[in-house]
Amino acid sequence: MIKLIIDDKEVEAEEGWTILEAAKQAGIRIPTLCSHESLRPAGACRVCTVEIATNGTKSLTTACDYPVEAGLKVSTTSEKVIEARRLAVELLLAQRPHSSRLQELARKLGVKEPRFVLAEQECILCQLCVRTCRELVDVEAITFVAQGKDRDVAEPTVVHSLDKCIGCDACAYVCPTESITVTDIGDTRTINTPSGKLEFKLKQCQVCGKYWAPEKQLDYIIEKWHLEPELFATCPDCRD
Amino acid sequence: MDRVVFSSWGGNIVDNRQKTAGYTPVENLEFPLEHNGHRVRAFMSWRGLVVIDAKINVADMAHTYLKEVQKLSCGECSVGYLGIRVMLDTLTRIRDEKGTKEDIALLRWLGNSIKANTKCDFCALALTPVLDSLKYYESEYTKSGAAKGRGAKPVYLTRITAPCIEACPAHQDAPGYIELISNRRYEEALALIRQTNCLPGTMGRACFAFCEENCTRGDIDKPISIRALKRVPADYEVSTALEPEAKAKKAGGDKVAVIGAGPAGLAASYNLALKGYRVTIYDEQPSVGGMAWVGIPAFRLPRNVLGREVDIIKKLGIDFRLNTRVGKDITLEQLLKHGFKAVFIATGAHAGRKLGIEVEGGGVVDGVEFLRDVNMGQKVAVKRRVIIVGGGNVAIDCARTCLRLGFKEVTILYRRSRAEMPAREEEIQAAEAEGVKIHYLAAPVKALTEGGKVNGVECIRMKLGEPDDSGRRRPIPIEGSEFTVGTDMIIPAIGEKPDLSLIEGKSIDTTKWGTIVVDAPTGQTSLPGVFAGGDCVSGPATLVEAIAAGNKAARGIDRYLKSGRVTPPEEQVVEDWLHDVALNHQRDGNIVAKRERQSPKQLPVAKRKRGFAEVEQCLSLEMAAKEAERCLRCYRVMLLAVDGRK
Repeated sequence: MIKLIIDDKEVEAEEGWTILEAAKQAGIRIPTLCSHESLRPAGACRVCTVEIATNGTKSLTTACDYPVEAGLKVSTTSEKVIEARRLAVELLLAQRPHSSRLQELARKLGVKEPRFVLAEQECILCQLCVRTCRELVDVEAITFVAQGKDRDVAEPTVVHSLDKCIGCDACAYVCPTESITVTDIGDTRTINTPSGKLEFKLKQCQVCGKYWAPEKQLDYIIEKWHLEPELFATCPDCRD
Repeated sequence: MDRVVFSSWGGNIVDNRQKTAGYTPVENLEFPLEHNGHRVRAFMSWRGLVVIDAKINVADMAHTYLKEVQKLSCGECSVGYLGIRVMLDTLTRIRDEKGTKEDIALLRWLGNSIKANTKCDFCALALTPVLDSLKYYESEYTKSGAAKGRGAKPVYLTRITAPCIEACPAHQDAPGYIELISNRRYEEALALIRQTNCLPGTMGRACFAFCEENCTRGDIDKPISIRALKRVPADYEVSTALEPEAKAKKAGGDKVAVIGAGPAGLAASYNLALKGYRVTIYDEQPSVGGMAWVGIPAFRLPRNVLGREVDIIKKLGIDFRLNTRVGKDITLEQLLKHGFKAVFIATGAHAGRKLGIEVEGGGVVDGVEFLRDVNMGQKVAVKRRVIIVGGGNVAIDCARTCLRLGFKEVTILYRRSRAEMPAREEEIQAAEAEGVKIHYLAAPVKALTEGGKVNGVECIRMKLGEPDDSGRRRPIPIEGSEFTVGTDMIIPAIGEKPDLSLIEGKSIDTTKWGTIVVDAPTGQTSLPGVFAGGDCVSGPATLVEAIAAGNKAARGIDRYLKSGRVTPPEEQVVEDWLHDVALNHQRDGNIVAKRERQSPKQLPVAKRKRGFAEVEQCLSLEMAAKEAERCLRCYRVMLLAVDGRK
C-alpha cells in the first residue's frame, strides 16, 4: 500500500492507482468529464485538475492519469485548482454551449457565461468514444486525428471508419455532448458522427417482426464468440 | 543595431531599452545574430524573447509566432488546444486594432493558466515568449497603429524541430509518428516515416537511434523507445499485407545515375524517383542494400525485411544494374556521356583498415570481409577460438556471428575502456549475455604462429591518457605489460575506409583520410553534376547518416537539375543558423509522472546460438501505444524576424 496525502488527509492506495481512484476510495469527490472507470484515462478535458507537490515543487496535473506516489501531497480544493477547472469548463462550454452536461458542470463549478467566443464544435475531443470503441467494444473503428508538424490536418477530430464500425451505438451512449447520435428508423440505423453519417441495416426478429440490432454487429458477435447464427434470429424479448 | 535591446533568453532578463551606454551583454545566446546575408531583428522561441531592433513590432511577431504554435497544438487536451485558439483570436483582434485593455489582461491570465495545466509540454513551453512579451512589452499591445508602423516589416523565418528530430541526421519527425502510433494510425505513421526514411523496418531494427540519446524523457525516467516504435508500423504493414502508397511522379525527368545500392544510394534513388527522375543504380554486389546487407547480420536484420523494403523502392521504376562496378565495368565518363545529367556516388566504406599484424597463410581475416562472406552465404572455416580486435558495431557483430557459427571461445580486444566503446550499449550487453568475453585496455602487438597457422596473439596492456580529437581518451601502451592469448583466428575490426579507385584521376577533391569532399548542405562534389554522400564522404558511419546524406543529395540534385544552382534552400539556411540552440533546455516545465519504458522482448539467449533467428522482437501494438503515450511532444517553434537578404 502507498500512503499519500489528499487535502491534508492521509490516504492509502494500491500501487498503480491514479490520484482519482485514491480520492474516490477516500470519499473525496473530484469532478470529471472525459474519465470513465472502465476506460484508460486520457487527461483530455482537464476537469479533474488537482494540485500536487513533490520535493517542494508544486504543479497542476490531472487526477485521472497521475499515478499515486508515496508521500505525494494532493490538493483538490486549492484556489489554483478551482480556477484551472473553471478555465477548462469555460473553454469547453465556449465551444459547445448547448451541451447540458457541460452546462451542469459549469453550474457546479460556478462558471457563468464564457468570456470567450469559439466557433461551435459538437465534438469536444474528450475521446470517450475512441476509448470505448477500442477498449470495450474491441473494434477500434474510431480514431483521433491530431494536428502536427507538416500534417495536413485543419482541425483535430475523431474519425469513424465505416469499414470497421459495427453500428453498436456505444460511442453515442458515452458521448457527453451529443456529438454522436443514433436513430433507428424502419430497417435502418443511422449514426451521425463528427466525420459523417453511417448507415446500418437492422436485423428483423423472426417472431415479432421488430428491427432490433444491426446485422453487422450480430455478425461480429457471432464470429468473435463462435456462436450459432440462429441464436440471433429472434430478438431478446421473444426468446424463451 | 548589434546590441541586444531586450532578452529573456533562458529566463535571464537583460533590458537595455532605457540605456544609452553600458549595455548589458546577453550570454549564451546559442545562435549567431547574422547568418548567410540575414540579420536577426528579433527571435521568439520556448526559451524566451530576444529583441535586437527596437523598432520591431513585438505584438505582430507574437501573433505570427502563436499562429505557428497553434498549427502544432495537437488537440489532445482542452486547455492547450482551445486555450491557444482563444489567445490567437485575441491577439488577432489586438493586431487589427480592435483589442481592449481587458483583452491584454485576459491574454496574460490565459497564457499563465494554460502554461500551468496542459497534458504535454508543447503548448505550455511554447507560450513562454508570448508571456514575456506581455510582461515586458505591454505597451506594444496598446500602441496606436501609427506608432506600430515604424520600421520596415520584417521577414519571418520559422523553424520547427524537437530534441529528437535535431539529433537525427535525417531529421525524422519522431514526435509526429509517435503521436500517430499512440492513436493507432499506423499507415499514416509509416507514410510520415517514409518522407525522410525509405527503410523504416530496417531502421526500426538497426538504427543507432541518436534521437533516444537526446530524448527529453531521459531526464525524467528513460528515453522513449523511438527505434522500437518505428518498427511497429513497418511490421504492421507486413502483417496486414498492406501495399505502401509510394507513387512516383510521371517519369520523364532527367536521367540520374546512382553508384552504390546501400542506404545512401537507395535514399537518393527513392527520393529522386518520387520526384519523377529516371534513376539507374549500379552496385558491384549481386545484392541490394550495401553495408545493411553485407555488413549487418541477419539476427539483427532479417534479410526478408530489407529485401521487401528494397522491392518497394524498386517498384518506383528504378533500374538496378547489379554485379556492375563503376570504374571497372563502366566508367564515370561513360555514365555522363550516356545521358546521365547527374551522378550520385555512394560507394560506402568497405575496405577494412589493416592492423599491421597480418600473417602469411591466413588466420587473420578482416571484420567487414568476414561479415560479408557470412552474410552472402559463403562458407567460412569455423575454429575453436577467435579474437576480434575493435570496439565498434562491426566488432560486436563479428563476435555474435562467430558464436552462432559454432566458435567456442569468442573474445574481443578493445584498447580503450567500456565507456569509450563506440558500439551501441544494447549490442554490447547482448554480446556479453550470449557469452562474448571482452578484454578492455588491451591491444594486439603481433600474431603468433606455429607451423604457418595462427595459434595466439601477443597483446599489450593500455592505459588512458588525454582526450584525442574524437574527444575520447587516448590509449597509451604500458611498457613491459605484454601478455599472450591463445587463439585460432584473428579478426581485426578497427574501422573501414572508402575505396575511391572509381574517381582516381578525376577532378573530384578528396581528403587526406581518403574520403570525398562535398558541399555539406547539397552533397555536390568539386565536379559539377557529380554528388556524393554516405560513408565514402563521412568515413564509416551509421545507416541513418547514410540515409540522411542520400535525402540531402536528392534535394541538391533536384535543385541543380531544375535551376542549375546548388545553393541550399531557405529551410536549410534557417536549420544551419539555429543548429546550436540547445533544445533540451527548458524554463518552468510542469511535473511529469514517471512511466515505465516499454522495451521489446528479446529471444532467450539459449535459443540464439542455434542460428541466425532475429533476437529483438517487435513491440506489441498495446505496448507500442503505451510507450508512445510517454512522449512529451517536445516540438520547438522558433521564429526569426530578419531583414531581407542584402
